[in-house]
Amino acid sequence: MVNLQTSWEVRTLSQRASEALAGGQLGLTTGYLFAGLAGLAVFLAAMALVLVYAERKIAAHFQCRLGPMRVGWHGILQSVADSLKLLLKEDIVPTDADRFLHVLAPFMSLLAAILVLVMLPMSPALQVADVNIGVLYVTAVSGLGALGILLGGWSSNNKWSLLGAMRAGAQIISYEVSATLSLLVVVLFSGTLQLSKIVQSQADGWWIWRAPGVGLLAFAIYLIASVAEINRTPFDISEGESELTAGFHTEYSGMRFAFFFLAEFINMFVVSALAATLFLGGWMPFHIGGLATFNAAMDLIPPGAWFAAKSAFLIFVIMWFRWTFPRLRIDQLMRLEWKILLPIGFVNLFLAAMAVLFGFYFFPVQ
Amino acid sequence: MNKMSQEDILTAPLAETAPSSSPAVGMTGPLAAPRPERRGFWWNILSGLRSLLKGMGVTFRYFSRPSTVVTQQYPENRATLKLFDRSRTLLGMIHDENGFHKCTACHFCEKACPNASITVAERPKPATGKPELDYFTWRMDSCTYCNACVIVCPFSVLTMSGTFENSVFDSRLLIYNLTRYAGPTSQVLMKIADPEERKRMIETRGVFSGVPLLRKGGRK
Repeated sequence: MVNLQTSWEVRTLSQRASEALAGGQLGLTTGYLFAGLAGLAVFLAAMALVLVYAERKIAAHFQCRLGPMRVGWHGILQSVADSLKLLLKEDIVPTDADRFLHVLAPFMSLLAAILVLVMLPMSPALQVADVNIGVLYVTAVSGLGALGILLGGWSSNNKWSLLGAMRAGAQIISYEVSATLSLLVVVLFSGTLQLSKIVQSQADGWWIWRAPGVGLLAFAIYLIASVAEINRTPFDISEGESELTAGFHTEYSGMRFAFFFLAEFINMFVVSALAATLFLGGWMPFHIGGLATFNAAMDLIPPGAWFAAKSAFLIFVIMWFRWTFPRLRIDQLMRLEWKILLPIGFVNLFLAAMAVLFGFYFFPVQ
Repeated sequence: MNKMSQEDILTAPLAETAPSSSPAVGMTGPLAAPRPERRGFWWNILSGLRSLLKGMGVTFRYFSRPSTVVTQQYPENRATLKLFDRSRTLLGMIHDENGFHKCTACHFCEKACPNASITVAERPKPATGKPELDYFTWRMDSCTYCNACVIVCPFSVLTMSGTFENSVFDSRLLIYNLTRYAGPTSQVLMKIADPEERKRMIETRGVFSGVPLLRKGGRK
């Protein structure tokens, strides 16, 4: 039996646009670029609405509740109604706030999320841009989100906001290290920083199981560190409503609050999608090297669906974390990172390097 | 000689654990606070992971079983609404299937009521001159639903009725008369064979009938 899609050729939207430009088809170029931009905008809005609804429903059922039930069938239009309400709400900037930074901060937060979204390989045909330093770019740009939070907390001129922002800063500095160390494990195995090539390198199996032990450990560390990076429970001390009212977005209302909210949910998607791309094969179907029939059967499910399912599963796991675990104190948070995750991450990286060096993993690349 | 007094028995085990210079007799020595188990790096991580997974298992059990949902879709499920036994709803007086109650106008509920929401008005029985219930006035507007009246009632006449929809446009309509008739209790009435005779012995009362007797000032 012949594998129908042996090559898994990736054609990004920007690539198509540049090809069209080289061919002199200016209309097609603008068409592709517009499709990329509009697609991203629509994707952002739709994703946020769906995720907010999903979070509320999932949270409710974890807590023996029903969640939104009134607006539409089983409350399916609840997030539409909520976003309309947020649009119409009064937008307040506190008197003594730094007005410029206060307005800028939510956009910074959202910008970071969108910039990462551009690089995500959602399927061989659906990726806006692809650079050869994809992993580096993603880790660098996702740090910008913390800048939005820091700006928001600083410019609000409010003690809670500032405390929340400082906590977020300390948190992202700490956990970025562990997250990057665990990403490096995959980079070592796949031998590339380009996200689409990392996905292609998993045609024989996903790195989470192909790299014996170290892949799973790196995945666990990345999951923990990335949940901390996007400030979600159990690491939501920058929001910490029981001690900081709402943390960095205490003084935000209306649309600007909605932007922070949006950024949080998009970040959750981005983190899940990245974990899926690097450890769970991204859009690559579940393959086991050598089993051609099995692989061909798995190929019947389109790559986009694989990507969506993997991301959705990880998003569910992150929500599951949120509605099960209590929040950590700041000292516990720091202890977890510097005394536990970081040493394990370093050892793991060393072991991964050894495994790559001696070809001690499943289906090694010759 | 080895016969110990009660005090000896109480203090004997303490003497071993508490220091001899224990200041007070009643003290049981320093309280032993539960210390978290700290064994080692890997043990801590694994036991922590185990407890986290256990917690996730608990929440997933709730998540995966819709039967665990406790939310009631109230206005829609009015017909099938289930209230807990402990729910505090409008005060009601139990009338049996013949429409008779057992209240003897003993005033226990009135005395138990912490904010004078209950006023029991009695009248002399026509034949004997002993008191019987006339009006049982309950001020829902000042009631805190403390349940004290239900607890003290020696004949279990009072109950939380299970209804709670009582919105009105006039606060005067929140003063209820709980008894449906004035006259002898059900024990007396049911000894009388003739239903017509029973009917003659009672005098009907409505929810808002009569002049509500409100207590002013302190208790009697």
